[in-house]
Amino acid sequence: MSPKTENRILATPIVLFLLVMLGFPAVLDILYSFSEVSFENLRSPTLNGGKNFIKVVNDPEFWAASWFSLKFGVATALSECILGLVLAVYLAPIIRKNNWMIAVLIMPMIIAPAMMGLMYRLVLHEFVGSLPHYLYLWLGDSPAFLSRENVFLTVFTIETLQWTPFAFLLIYMAYEAIPSEMREAASVDGTRPWRMFWFIEVPQMAPTLAVAFFIRFIDGFRVFDNIFVLTGAGAGGSTTSLSIYIYLSFFRSGDIGKALAASVILFCVAFVILFFAGRLLRRDRA
Amino acid sequence: MGTIELKNVTKSFGPVAVIKGVSLTAEEGEFVVFVGPSGCGKSTLLRLIAGLEETSGGSIHIDGKDVTELDPNHRGLSMVFQSYALYPHMTVYGNIAFALKTAGVAKLEIDRKVRAAAETLKLTPYLDRKPKDLSGGQRQRVAIGRAIVRQPKGFLFDEPLSNLDAALRTQTRIEIANLHKELGATMVYVTHDQIEAMTLADKIVVLNDGEVMQIGSPKELYYAPKNTFVAQFIGSPKMNLLPRASYGGGAMHYQDGVKIDIGHMDGTPSIVGVRPEDISLCPLGEAELSASVTHNEFHGADNNVFVSVPGIGSLNVRANGKLDLQNGQPVGLVLDKSQLHYFDENGVRT
Repeated sequence: MSPKTENRILATPIVLFLLVMLGFPAVLDILYSFSEVSFENLRSPTLNGGKNFIKVVNDPEFWAASWFSLKFGVATALSECILGLVLAVYLAPIIRKNNWMIAVLIMPMIIAPAMMGLMYRLVLHEFVGSLPHYLYLWLGDSPAFLSRENVFLTVFTIETLQWTPFAFLLIYMAYEAIPSEMREAASVDGTRPWRMFWFIEVPQMAPTLAVAFFIRFIDGFRVFDNIFVLTGAGAGGSTTSLSIYIYLSFFRSGDIGKALAASVILFCVAFVILFFAGRLLRRDRA
Repeated sequence: MGTIELKNVTKSFGPVAVIKGVSLTAEEGEFVVFVGPSGCGKSTLLRLIAGLEETSGGSIHIDGKDVTELDPNHRGLSMVFQSYALYPHMTVYGNIAFALKTAGVAKLEIDRKVRAAAETLKLTPYLDRKPKDLSGGQRQRVAIGRAIVRQPKGFLFDEPLSNLDAALRTQTRIEIANLHKELGATMVYVTHDQIEAMTLADKIVVLNDGEVMQIGSPKELYYAPKNTFVAQFIGSPKMNLLPRASYGGGAMHYQDGVKIDIGHMDGTPSIVGVRPEDISLCPLGEAELSASVTHNEFHGADNNVFVSVPGIGSLNVRANGKLDLQNGQPVGLVLDKSQLHYFDENGVRT
């Protein structure tokens, strides 16, 4: 048997698996996005050209959801990376001596995001929540955490609290990987601590910071479960992320074609971003 | 440009004493080498001078000023590390210029100094490269460039040549010696290689187990080692130490009635040391000691001959490389009496 045929035979199972698991839904997704389709005619969709896409692009809610996802993704990724960096540098000397602290610090990561949403729904509830209760008791007033004005800040804070440990963990590893002799060389050469941080340490952690930011951005951009459980897209649709928009269009409105058109747009945009981010990282390394 | 003075410096890591009271002075412009076996504390001593470790006792003075409590960035020294510790994200230019930028030197002045240093170290064509695109020897020179550009009070070198191959090591050794002449700066250099120590140093500090064994010029250490440790550590192949023997009647008496005449001595020597080049092979008839060849290493110009002497044991002899010696061949030995070293029972020179 020639190596070529051997390779083909060996690769067949994984190719088949991918085709079935990813290829089939993808093809169906694209097909439906160009069709007039609802739950009644799922098996016999009729092609309607780009009508779904026009509908999506003309829907202000789609743009509101896109804007929310972008804002949420960037804001949470940025705050998580900055906080993670501060924690990593500040706690490094303590953690070096007490390794078990890492386990405590990354605990929020092991909670399912939907459970996190549920937990805060209880904690922040206007009538039965413990936080408003004590704020009323001690200060006589409490902000409406889930009101239209405050809800973005609330979900932003929850997401940051849960996922800062992830950024912290990555950045701490990068920080510890900087050779100690390099710090020593810089300090003998007269470098003050602040300058050392900005000009020696941060540049060496830059690739990790970029990766951490990118992963957290993707995660924040496609956010669904914790927000959906906590606010259910409220107040007044102000926390509708793109994922929630697609979900609501699909199941609530039954507008399957529109939902899938939105998902195809999301996929294309994500692909473009991924492509450029990959190129940026590669150039960074070269 | 400065003097570096250590007064009774000690350092312990927990209960382990690594440096046990070291006092020494590096005069202005002097090239001082710390040498000793691994684990003797020589690198720790250098790090104490740099301020990278805190002393447990004693004091360190640079130019007469007590710097014991100062952070490394306030001591005005430069250090070259074994791993070079270059900043990987900066170009060669950036690496050399960094300390000057830290010090707030004007841009034009920085440029002039960096280019001058690069010229001295033959780095000019590589100024725009990153460290990862350089060879080991070039990286090493960047590390030196980074140190000299600041015109520090003193240079500290921590085994800077151990990551280079043999040929490059010899070449860089000469370059460092020239650099020292050119700059006239105080340098403290740590190595485990006694050849580096002998060739570079004005003053060698031999350390063992956290204590100074001897301080002196290379010649002093070679010709008048204070104790058996220094005697054996300096010189390659190392000095032969004959087994302990009793002294009497102007001779050392060994087992089986073997004796060596050494004439009248003031003290009572117990151990006789003799360097391999101070023993010569001769016909058996003229011999002071008779021996047989046990092993011979041909080094080119020399033969490094191991012989077995009845009553004394194994000795190492440097003989002419042209001699053809067979294992088991009987040979006669003559010792150069003027070059013998005498130590008492505690291994201290008498």
